Amino acid sequence: MSKHLLEVKDLKTYFYTDKGVVKAVDGVDFHIDAGKTLGIVGESGCGKSITSMSVMRLIQKPGKIESGEILYQGKNLLELSEDQMRSIRGNEISMIFQEPMTSLNPVFTIGYQISEALMLHQKLSKKEAREKAIEMLNLVQIPRAEKIVDEYPHQLSGGMRQRVMIAMALSCMPKILIADEPTTALDVTIQAQILNLMNDLKQRLNTAIMLITHDLGVVAEMADYVVVMYAGKVVEEGPVKELFANPKHPYTIGLLKSKPNLHEERERLDSIPGMVPNPIDLPKGCYFHPRCKYATDECRQGQPELKELNPKHKVSCFVASREVQK
Amino acid sequence: MIKYILKRILHLIPVIFIISICIFGIVKLTPGNPIGSNLDPRATAEEKAAERARLGYDKPIHIQYIEWMKRSIRGDFGESYLYKRPVNKVISEVIWNSFILNVVVFILAFLISIPIGIISAVKQYSKTDSFWTLFSLFGISMPSFFFGLLLIFGFSVKLKWFPINGMINPGSTTTGFARVLEVGHHMVLPAIVLTISSLASLVRYTRNGMLDVLNQDYIRTARSKGLSEKVVIYKHAFRNALIPLVTLLGFQIPGLFSGAVILESIFVWPGIGRVMVDAINQRDYNLMLALMMFFSILTLLGNLLADIGYALVDPRVKVDER
Amino acid sequence: MQEDQKINQTQVIGPWKMTWIHFKKKKTAVAGLIIFAILVLGSTFAPFLTPYSLETIDKTARNQPPSWEHWLGTDNLGRDYFTRILYGGRVSLKVGLFAVIISIVLGVIIGGIAGYYGGWVDNVLMRFTEIVMSFPFLPLAITISAVVGAEMPGEYKMYITMFIIGLLSWPGLARIIRGQILSLREQEFMLAATALGLSDRRKIFRHLIPNTLGYVIVYATLGMASAILSESSLSFLGLGVVPPTPTWGNLVLNARDTHILTTRPWLWIPPGLCIFLAVISINLIGDGLRDAVDPKSHR
Repeated sequence: MSKHLLEVKDLKTYFYTDKGVVKAVDGVDFHIDAGKTLGIVGESGCGKSITSMSVMRLIQKPGKIESGEILYQGKNLLELSEDQMRSIRGNEISMIFQEPMTSLNPVFTIGYQISEALMLHQKLSKKEAREKAIEMLNLVQIPRAEKIVDEYPHQLSGGMRQRVMIAMALSCMPKILIADEPTTALDVTIQAQILNLMNDLKQRLNTAIMLITHDLGVVAEMADYVVVMYAGKVVEEGPVKELFANPKHPYTIGLLKSKPNLHEERERLDSIPGMVPNPIDLPKGCYFHPRCKYATDECRQGQPELKELNPKHKVSCFVASREVQK
Repeated sequence: MIKYILKRILHLIPVIFIISICIFGIVKLTPGNPIGSNLDPRATAEEKAAERARLGYDKPIHIQYIEWMKRSIRGDFGESYLYKRPVNKVISEVIWNSFILNVVVFILAFLISIPIGIISAVKQYSKTDSFWTLFSLFGISMPSFFFGLLLIFGFSVKLKWFPINGMINPGSTTTGFARVLEVGHHMVLPAIVLTISSLASLVRYTRNGMLDVLNQDYIRTARSKGLSEKVVIYKHAFRNALIPLVTLLGFQIPGLFSGAVILESIFVWPGIGRVMVDAINQRDYNLMLALMMFFSILTLLGNLLADIGYALVDPRVKVDER
Repeated sequence: MQEDQKINQTQVIGPWKMTWIHFKKKKTAVAGLIIFAILVLGSTFAPFLTPYSLETIDKTARNQPPSWEHWLGTDNLGRDYFTRILYGGRVSLKVGLFAVIISIVLGVIIGGIAGYYGGWVDNVLMRFTEIVMSFPFLPLAITISAVVGAEMPGEYKMYITMFIIGLLSWPGLARIIRGQILSLREQEFMLAATALGLSDRRKIFRHLIPNTLGYVIVYATLGMASAILSESSLSFLGLGVVPPTPTWGNLVLNARDTHILTTRPWLWIPPGLCIFLAVISINLIGDGLRDAVDPKSHR
């Protein structure tokens, strides 16, 4: 039995397009423990969303999960039949998305959409499901739940809709909640509320959270463990405090430095020069080397691997690894 | 909702008036003298004048309009000079012929096109999809009269499977079930033409509607809840794609009572379209006016039904306007 | 440093070129373009493609089936039928083109003004649009044709038909343009234009309407297909363009005579086919354009 609730091993998800093969996720490993929050950080296009969709096996053509293992409670999800996978979706592993405005079906009531999963997975009757839906709406702190349950999504604000999404996702008490940029589309104040809500529910229901975001502030607040992704690969991972205090990969360092600091007086913000590579035309060698000021010949030739620097803190970088050896 | 409907109907009334004025004007401008047939061609000038007076054609045009309006509101559309019977009777006799043809086409077209449209969208870019897309293209590009002629040529003339035209065999006195069969037999070819052209645009419509919906975020959400693909497509997706379809349906329902002018002409189907063409060609004023008004009102009704249908299926539409 | 420059280079392709590139990719669209080009060229260069003129009458060769001298036989007056079809194409295509131009001009102007000014202008114009839309197309077209055309000599019938179709088809486009303008109006580039002090007319015609061009072009192609169908239907009923001027529609009219329908299919099938090919090729082009212009449909 694996000691982790979810363990992803060497996941590869490729997209076969007219213009070439896009290696969206190119050999990613990570794990999630029960009741803990894993933060996956990276810029747009680094593959973090695809990773989460792969875990749920929601990848559609022209994408395909090439290889790897996704072990949930020891079972490899990639070997399950579609029927078996469906009984896991929404039930044991749930997901919420970035755009609350468009993620709810406009023609069904809130209550119906929450009840659906309950009736399907928990075999509740319509009446029981409705009761539970109201309960969930109360849980996510939506006022007047009795009324809202019969209303339609367009009658709610973005923040409320995201709460509904959370209620929907947690209704069957899943062990893992995947949250793909849940607050990116919301106002900062609402963002804080939603994040607090998620933390609160995580503790109450002992749900593990896989939080995907590009916002380091969110990661610092929510995550127990962080994975940094770049161009489809994991470049660094570690416990949140360690990572923020002691970043080793040049990309992570760049990310942390580029965050404006309220207490510092600066004339220019730091930024990482260059752009994220075109996924069809990836550079030879380490994917990050064109933008890295520490790049050496070794970096230009080969792909670095994840090496453990100190317990639990891993980095995928030739330069960083060499430093530790010294 | 009731208030909304009443409000809309109220708005329709001025529109109907304006349309009636336009139609009246256009019809009256049509040259040609309809009084001729009631009289002997050798009638004297006085007899002609008397006939004009009887028909009210000697009065100024706006008076004629008012008289016509007054009578029409009461349901009296005058007498058809072409058929020598009250216009109401003429219309009520032929309208059912068009209706049965239209109903059959309507049912067939919707029943076939919706599943095909859905499957086409779900299996986008597959061979099935390509086939039906091409089929739709053919259907909407083919001129209906040409297609009808081709079918007659192929199936009636060469293969002799179906009668060339008409709704019943000449001089037929069948009744009951035998009659139904006879009409059905005659109906096959025109029904095929109409159904295929209807199908073509309906399949496209449904497919496009479904494609738009299938790309939406809430479909991804539905899948992530573990719902089966069937439920995702037929419940979550289709229910949304239904919205534009219902508006289409709204238009089609009043259309059941109108007639495909060209097709009825080719197949000599005694429907209201044929009567319309004859009325225009023969300058039967009363019939022309009544029919044009009738068709216009059908279109307006279609609009109204489409909007009502839309409000019924889309909860986002606010109907209670202050 | 070299790497930096490589990263930051992007190729700039204008929207017209992009549309053309996407259009070319779609085989059906290109096929449509080719077919349509053949029809247009055939009609335009008619005089060079046939030794006969429209009026050449050979009384000795009436009602002939296809032969080497007369590729599609002759009609009942001894005129070469292939010639009639070629010239017929001119009329059908011209009517289609001009009818759609008329409806575009009307639709864009009315829709544009209604959408831009909103308020009572919009109300009045939309009521007007609704009224025109409510008129049953075919009955009204037939009636107008009968009214106006009775006194006119044959050549003018073509123009009358053009106008009738154009005048009855603009409402569809007007509504679409109005809807587009209503939403575009609120976007920021319009605010910028106002801040620059541009006049209303300039804003409507130089800023808003060009942004609706995508819809207009698609409508133009589909509208032309529909106009060609309408013309052929009207002519088939004897109410559009009438003989001796040939159009594909009134050439198919020959088949109304059951005798001709059954014994001389070469008289009515080719013109019908031409109508079909013209319409389908335009539809293919229109579809191709629509997909090329709409970024969502790119795989």
